[in-house]
Formats: sequence, structure tokens, C-alpha cells
Amino acid sequence: MKRLILFFGLFALLLSQQSCIDGRKSGFDEDGNLYGRISISGAWAMYPLVVRWAEEFRKEHPDVRIDISAGGAGKGMADALGNMVDIAMVSREITAVEQERGAWFIAVAKDAVLPTFNTNNPLRDKILTHGLQKMHFQQIFLDGDRQNWESFFDVSGDTKMTVYTRSNACGAAETWAKYLGVSQEDIRGIGMFGDPGLADVVKNDRSGVGYNNIAFAYDINTRKPFENLGIIPIDINESGVIDPEERFYNDLDQLTEAISQGRYPSPPARNLYLVSNGHPENIAAIVFLHWILEKGQKFVKEAGYVMIRDEGIAAQKEKLPALPRPKLN
Amino acid sequence: MYVTLRKIKDRFSNAWISAAQFFVFALPVAIFISLFYKSFLVMQTSGIGDLLFSSVWRPMAGQFGFYPFIISSLWITFLGLVITAPVCLLSAIYLTYYGSNKLSGIMQPVIDILAGIPSVIYGVWGVLIIVPFTGRYLAPLFGYESTGFSILAGGIVLAIMLIPFILNILIEVFRTVPAEQFEASLSLGATKWDSIKNVVIRRSFPGIVSAFGLGLSRAFGETIAVLMVVGNVVGIPENLFDPGYPLPALIANNYGEMLSIPMFDSALMFAALILFVVVVIFNMLSRGLIIYLEKRQ
Repeated sequence: MKRLILFFGLFALLLSQQSCIDGRKSGFDEDGNLYGRISISGAWAMYPLVVRWAEEFRKEHPDVRIDISAGGAGKGMADALGNMVDIAMVSREITAVEQERGAWFIAVAKDAVLPTFNTNNPLRDKILTHGLQKMHFQQIFLDGDRQNWESFFDVSGDTKMTVYTRSNACGAAETWAKYLGVSQEDIRGIGMFGDPGLADVVKNDRSGVGYNNIAFAYDINTRKPFENLGIIPIDINESGVIDPEERFYNDLDQLTEAISQGRYPSPPARNLYLVSNGHPENIAAIVFLHWILEKGQKFVKEAGYVMIRDEGIAAQKEKLPALPRPKLN
Repeated sequence: MYVTLRKIKDRFSNAWISAAQFFVFALPVAIFISLFYKSFLVMQTSGIGDLLFSSVWRPMAGQFGFYPFIISSLWITFLGLVITAPVCLLSAIYLTYYGSNKLSGIMQPVIDILAGIPSVIYGVWGVLIIVPFTGRYLAPLFGYESTGFSILAGGIVLAIMLIPFILNILIEVFRTVPAEQFEASLSLGATKWDSIKNVVIRRSFPGIVSAFGLGLSRAFGETIAVLMVVGNVVGIPENLFDPGYPLPALIANNYGEMLSIPMFDSALMFAALILFVVVVIFNMLSRGLIIYLEKRQ
């Protein structure tokens, strides 16, 4: 019994400790150092980028504690609107319902969804030189009236086409659906769980077609697409061939440049947002958001994401509360 | 003085024990109430009949038809049980009546290991082995074309996951059959198989029913392993090689992302409520059957 009491005592102590940390306000101490705690939750797609930002930010402000958890854009949004966290990572457009409920947001980077195929596909060269048009993707992912790959390129043969999509609700699928003019629930195909699941199944199925976020289509280190995974070039001007200005899939840096300059259509390129419930009030969080839009931008490309152009950044900054500064006596 | 202290201790631990008991009892009630409360919004908007029997699933347009998910779930559970039942029954008989003690000594840890493997590993293994096997060999054998991501693959993976669970219960059940009865049957000239069929199985039939009943509840709610191999395509499967989309997968696939949209959130809670109610019904039915069978004996 004594042990039990001791156990509960300890537990209570731990809990009160916890609430102490939570209760500690953020701000600047007498020496002008920023302190406080920022909690972040949300999209898997943004997790690596925000973790990188947090690491770099803490090098400058070691007294700020940043807790980041990934659980999906909607989870982050619900947490932020319920004041469970300071900031949500949301990798899709903010819905009207969420805006009505008070979601405040800024865009911090871009990402893109890319249509993928298996490079052992017998029609690989045709696919790479001719690409596919939006209309074709609609036929593949919406109507399902294309049974084989040959039908796109006027050649004979019957290489069956297997369509894969994401089973879980996610920003990537929503963005791809938006490009096709629908929402995720309308995309047909075998549903795979998660970005890695979808990339893997296309890598292993010669007849497969799918779509992935940049980070799961390209190897960040070699800056090339992963082995066996090919990117289907989009024939944007619908000329029937991939013209030089539409050819930027060979390496990651070319691609991110094309996305940043708007040569790759948007959607399937998309904005990545940080969201809070109304204007952010946590001082450390506001400083962090300012930092992301300035110094933070240089880590975006390294992490395999796409930078917002300068005028875009300026527009985001206007939405932010003014940068808090330490009051020094 | 000493006596009163003992009394106080006794009273305290009595309170403690009843509190623990009450907590266990209140848990399912609390779960039911919270699920019901959270899904009230969608029930009010669409009506329970529509939710259960409509097959139109267009959440963004506010149409939530759970029929395809319910059918998929029932199919996969049924398949899993049909595949696993003979395997479990026969191997339980073998282990208790045919195998040596040494074999039981080897098999018990093997079954425990199977039971302890996390379900996501069964899922990965299903994607690597069962899905290609179903798509490349089983489907053409029956004249179908399939990627392998199908309710059959889901059923097979589920069956494999159920084996340790049901097998363990069955072995326990067979061990409770008195050896004298079995030996009496043998001494009357019945063969071993006759004795098993007419004495052991008959005698432990309620136990067998309860083993499968518990397995059924467990199978109906199995999430991640099934999700990984079943294809997740909304629609009513026409044959075993069509992809399906069971209820637990629906919740797991959408909960994180759609939490912030009240109607979707409520619909997912309704899916959870269906799962909960079905599992309760399964449990009650098998319990009722056991009571009936025991009375008849």
C-alpha cells in the first residue's frame, strides 16, 4: 500500500511538473534572450522540413523548446483550432469550414505532386519523349477507360495499366485530385497507405502508375528519381511531345527551379501552410514564423522542398504580427 | 488499536477493489456513450437507415453510405474465419491427442511467438508474399484478373493472424475434457477418430463456439494488416479477387487528416460505433449460444 501511495504521489508530482512547463510563458528574459515553448503538430509531408527549421532556429535561440509531432494535416488543424498546439502544419488548401472556425495561416514553402511510373515499363522511352496530358491523367485516374499503356502512343501491344492511389486522406492525393478537377474521393485505383507505400508498389509493378510527393520520388542525396521509379513528364502545352521547356525532371534542382518559376503547373504543385487559431500569440512562435520566412528559406531547397518566390514571401510577412523585440533597459 | 487499523486497511482495500471493478465495467459503457455522442451529428443529418444501407460514399458532398464498408468487413471476417477454422481445429486436436509431449513443448512457444508478432509485420509480409501470390497464381487459376490487393488477400492474412489466438483457446478447451471419458470411449472399441468426434468435440462444443466467437470479434476489428493488403477501393466487391475497404481501414485512413472537418469526423465516429455494436452483437450471440449448448448438455 505504501508503494502504491508513493507511486501515485510521484505521478501527481510529474503531472504538476508538466503543467508548470506548460504554464511558463514565452518572451524575452532580462538579457534579451528568447525563451519559451512552441508546440507543432500536423502533416507528415512537412515534418522533415519543420524539424530542420526547428534545429536551425534553436542554434540561435537555445532556450526555446520546440515540440513537433506528425499525425496528419487534419489532426494538426484540429489540435491548433482546439488550442492544443501553437502551430499546425497543413499540406493542403485550408477549407472554408476551417477558415470559418478561425484558422489563420501563412504559406511557408511549396511542394509538388508528381505522376510516377515504373522505369521497366516497355514503353518507357515513349512515355519520356511524349509525356501525358492532363486529359490523359483524367482518363487514367477518373474514368478508367484506358486499359493499356499503348493506347496513348498509337502503338500496338497490350501492356496493362494498373492505377494506384493513396488510401489515406492526405494532402498529396487532394492536390493531385485538384489538378484533375475533382476531390480525393473521386480518384480511382488501388489504395496504398502512405507516400512510401505508393512509391514502393509502383517501383515493383511494371504496369503501375501513381503519384508521389517530391521527397518520395527523388533521392535527396543523389538528386535523381529513385531506382525503378520514373516521373511521367506532363505535356503542358499539349503538343504531343515534351518540348525543351517542359523537360526538367532529370534532377531535383532543375525540377524545384521549374516549380518555383511556375513552369510546373500548380496544382499539382502546392503550398505548404503553417496555421494557428487566430493570430499567433505565443511570442516565441511569432519569432519562429518570422525566422522561417527569412533565414529559414535557405534550408528549404536542401530539404527537397521548393521556395516561395520573393513577392510571395512579402505577402506572407504582411499577415504576420510584427516581430516582437526584447525590451532592453 | 491494532484491530481498528486492520479494519481500516480492510475497508480501504475493499473500496479499492470495487473501484477497479467498476472502472472495468464502466469502460465499454463510456466508449459507447462517447462514440454515440460524437456520431450524433451525422446520424441526425443523414438518418441511420441511409448511413447503413446507402452505397454512395462522397464525404465532400456530405453523402456517407457505409454499406460497401460493412459488406467488405463482413466478407473479410467471414473468409478469415472459414480459412482459419479447419486449420485451428485440426491442429488443436493433433497437439492434444496425437502429438508427443515434446512436440507440444516446441509448439507452445511457436504459437506464443506468432501471437506476439505486431500486426503491421503481418501486413508487410502480406504485401510481399500473399498479395503477389493471390494476384499471380490464385486469380488466374479461377479465371480472374487481379492485382492481388483483394478481399481474399485480406482474408488470408487475417486467417493467419487468427491462428495463434484461436488455437491457444482450443488447446485449453480440449485439455478440459476428462481423459476418463475419452478412454472409456476407446475401451468400448471406438477408434481414436470416433472418440475425438463423438466425445471430445461434442463435449467441448460450447468451448469451440466461444473460441470462434472471440476470434470473430477480433477479426472484425483488425486494422492495419488488413488495410495494407486489401486495396482500399470503395465499392461492393463482386468476387473474392476484387479489392475491398473494411470499416477499420476507413477510420485509420482518414482519422488523422479529417479530424478538423466536423461532419467527416462524426461519420468516422459512426464507423467506429458500427464496429463497436457489431462486436458486442458477436459477443452476445456466441455467449448466448454457449449458454444454450451447455444447458442442452
